Amino acid sequence: MKPAIMAAVLAVPGPAWSQGQVARDTMPRDTTPPAAAFGVTEYRLARQKLEQDMQRGGFSVYIIADMEGLAGAVRNQTEMRPVSRGGSPQHERFRQELTDEVNALITGARAAGATQFIVNEGHGGTLFRNVLVDRLDPEAILIRGYPKPIVMSTGMNPMVDAMMIVGAHANAGSPGIISHNFAFDSFTVNGKVLNEAGIAAFIGGEMGVPLGLASGDDVLTAETREMLGPIETVTVKTAFSRSAAAVLPPATVHRTLRQAAARAVRRVKTGELKPLKLQKPYRVRFCLRRSFTEDEWVRKTVGRLEGVADGASPGCFVYTSNSAEEVGNLLNEVEWTVLKP
Amino acid sequence: MRCFVGTILCLTSALQAQTAPPSSAPFREKQIPREAGFRVFIVPDMEGMGSAVDIREVIAGNEGERYKELTSPDYWDRFRLLLTREVNATIRGARSAGARSFVVNEGHGGNLFANVLPWELDSSAILVRGFPKPLVMVTGIDSSFGTLMFTGAHANAGSPGVLAHNFAFDSFTVNGNILNEVGINALIAGELGVSVSLVSGDDVLIAETQKIVPSGFVAIVTKRAVGRSAAITYSPAKVRRMLQAGAAEAVRRERRGDFKPFTMARPYRVEFKLRQTYPDSIVQAVAGLQEFKLERKGDRHFSYVTDSARQMGWLLDAIEEAVLR
Repeated sequence: MKPAIMAAVLAVPGPAWSQGQVARDTMPRDTTPPAAAFGVTEYRLARQKLEQDMQRGGFSVYIIADMEGLAGAVRNQTEMRPVSRGGSPQHERFRQELTDEVNALITGARAAGATQFIVNEGHGGTLFRNVLVDRLDPEAILIRGYPKPIVMSTGMNPMVDAMMIVGAHANAGSPGIISHNFAFDSFTVNGKVLNEAGIAAFIGGEMGVPLGLASGDDVLTAETREMLGPIETVTVKTAFSRSAAAVLPPATVHRTLRQAAARAVRRVKTGELKPLKLQKPYRVRFCLRRSFTEDEWVRKTVGRLEGVADGASPGCFVYTSNSAEEVGNLLNEVEWTVLKP
Repeated sequence: MRCFVGTILCLTSALQAQTAPPSSAPFREKQIPREAGFRVFIVPDMEGMGSAVDIREVIAGNEGERYKELTSPDYWDRFRLLLTREVNATIRGARSAGARSFVVNEGHGGNLFANVLPWELDSSAILVRGFPKPLVMVTGIDSSFGTLMFTGAHANAGSPGVLAHNFAFDSFTVNGNILNEVGINALIAGELGVSVSLVSGDDVLIAETQKIVPSGFVAIVTKRAVGRSAAITYSPAKVRRMLQAGAAEAVRRERRGDFKPFTMARPYRVEFKLRQTYPDSIVQAVAGLQEFKLERKGDRHFSYVTDSARQMGWLLDAIEEAVLR
C-alpha cells in the first residue's frame, strides 16, 4: 500500500468511543521540562532500586513485554488498547496472551537454569499496564506503569545475564504488523539502524548484557537478526500488511517460545551470544515521526533538549554521547515531549 | 448560592457563608460491637498495595466530577479483588499469632470508601464501608483494639512515591512535625492507647513513615517506586505471603510490648495547606467550617489548635466531605 493511501485509511474517524483526543493544537501547552513535569525517578536511582531486589549469583533474565508482535494480534485500535484508552474489550484477551507468552519464556529459561526473572512492560497503549499481575509467574518481578525511566529498559543493570523481548514489532517504515519505532521515523547510532529491540540491545549491550531472544512477526525477526546477528528468534505470524497476518496457533507459539528461551539461556551461558557493543562516542541521528514534525512546538522542544542539535532536515536531529543509558534517557525525553498535551 | 457579581448582597452573603457540619456528625459517638480476644484494626488503602501504579487502578469514576476522567473499571475492578486478598492475608497472619477479632475500615476513597469485596472478605471480619464516616480512616477505633495495621498506604504529598498524596493537603503538620496519612491516623489511635504494628506500601512510604513513627512497626515494602505512576512490583502471591508473615510478627511483637502508641504533647497545633490544584470553592467550604474555629493564615493555609486528636479526625471528615461533596 502506498503511504498516501495508508494515511487516508488511517484518517477515517473511528467510532465515537475512540474519539477521546482533543486536537493537539487547540490545547494550551504545558512548558515545564518533560521529565520534571512527570515526576519520574532519575534513571540511575531506578537502577539501584532494581538491583536491591536482585539475587547475587544465579542467572537473571530481563524480559521486555511488548504487544504488537503477540500471536494472533494484528490490529492496534481494538487489540492493543483497553476500553478506558479508546480501545475495545478484546484487549483483555490479548493481555492474557501476553501473560501466557511471558510465562512461556520464563518456563523455558528456568528449564535451562535461569533463576531470576524481571519483566518490564514495554507496551504503551495501556500506559504500560498490560501483563495480568495475578497470572504472571509468581517468581517474576514486574516493572509497570507510566511514565518510567528509560521506558523499555527501566532498571536495566549489569547484574542481568540475558535480555529477551516478546511481542516485538518491526521498525518504523518496515512492512510489519503495526511497525514503528518509539516516536521516530528513523533512528541510527554510528550509522547502524536500530529498531526498538535493537535499542534495548544497545543499552543492555553497554552493560555487557546480550539480547538473547526476540519474538514477533517475520519482518521483525528477520530485521533483528540482521541487526544483531543469529540470536534466538520466534516468528509468530507472517505479515500481509500493517494490520493483517497469517498467525500461528497460540499453543504452538508458547511451545516454541519455551524451547527458544531455553536455547537462548544456554547460548548466553556458553558465551556464544554476545552483547551489542558500539564504538564510543555514540553518534545518534534521529528523525521524528512525520506526524510529530508537523507540530512546531514538538520540533522546537525536542531541539532544545540537552545535547540535541538540528540535523539535516526539519524534524531530524543529532545527538552525541558516551553513555547508552543517556541515549535511553533522551528517548524518554522525546517520548514525553510528543505525548505531552 | 445564586448571586450576581458586584452586588453588595452577594458579597455579604459570601463572607458569611457557613459550611454545613459534616453529615456524619450525629454518628460520632457510635461504637463497633465489642468482641472477645485480641482485636486488630486494619486500614486498607489502595495506592500502596502490591502491583497498583496508576490512578485508573484505584478510582471507580463515581467519586465526583473531578474523578470521572480518571477511571477505568476494567482495571479498578481487578484491583478490588487483589485488595481484598491482601486484607485476607493480613487477617490470616494475625490470626495465626493469636488475634481473634478483626475490624477492617475502608481507608481508600475510591468508589466512596467501598473497595473491599464484602463477599470475598474473611468471614470473621467486620467491615466499615461507605462515606462519609466520622473518623474517615480510623472510624470505629476505640481503646479495646490491641493493635492497628495500615496496608496499601501511600507516601506523603510531594514525596516521590506512587500516587503520593495526603488527604486534601499539600502539607499537614502537628506541633511542627510533618505527618503523612499513616502518621495522622496513628496519632488519633495513639491518643486511645492503640499502637501501629504493621505498615505496607512502597519503599518511599515505608522510609518516610519510619521517621514519623519513632517506636517502629513491621514494614512491608510492596513495591519500589520509579515514578508517580510506575514501580518495580512483585507477584500478588508474594505480597500476600509477606503480609501474612508480617501480620503474624506484628501481633507477636505488639503483645510483647515492642510498639508504643504514637502520641504528641497537647495542645496539638495543627497547620495545613489545602492542595493548590483544588478550585476556590473547596477552599471557601473549608474556610466556612465554623465548628472547628480554624485560623486562616494564607490563601490555602490554615491553623487549628485542639486538645483532642479525635476532634482533629472529625475535621478531616469535614474537609473530605467538602472535597467530595
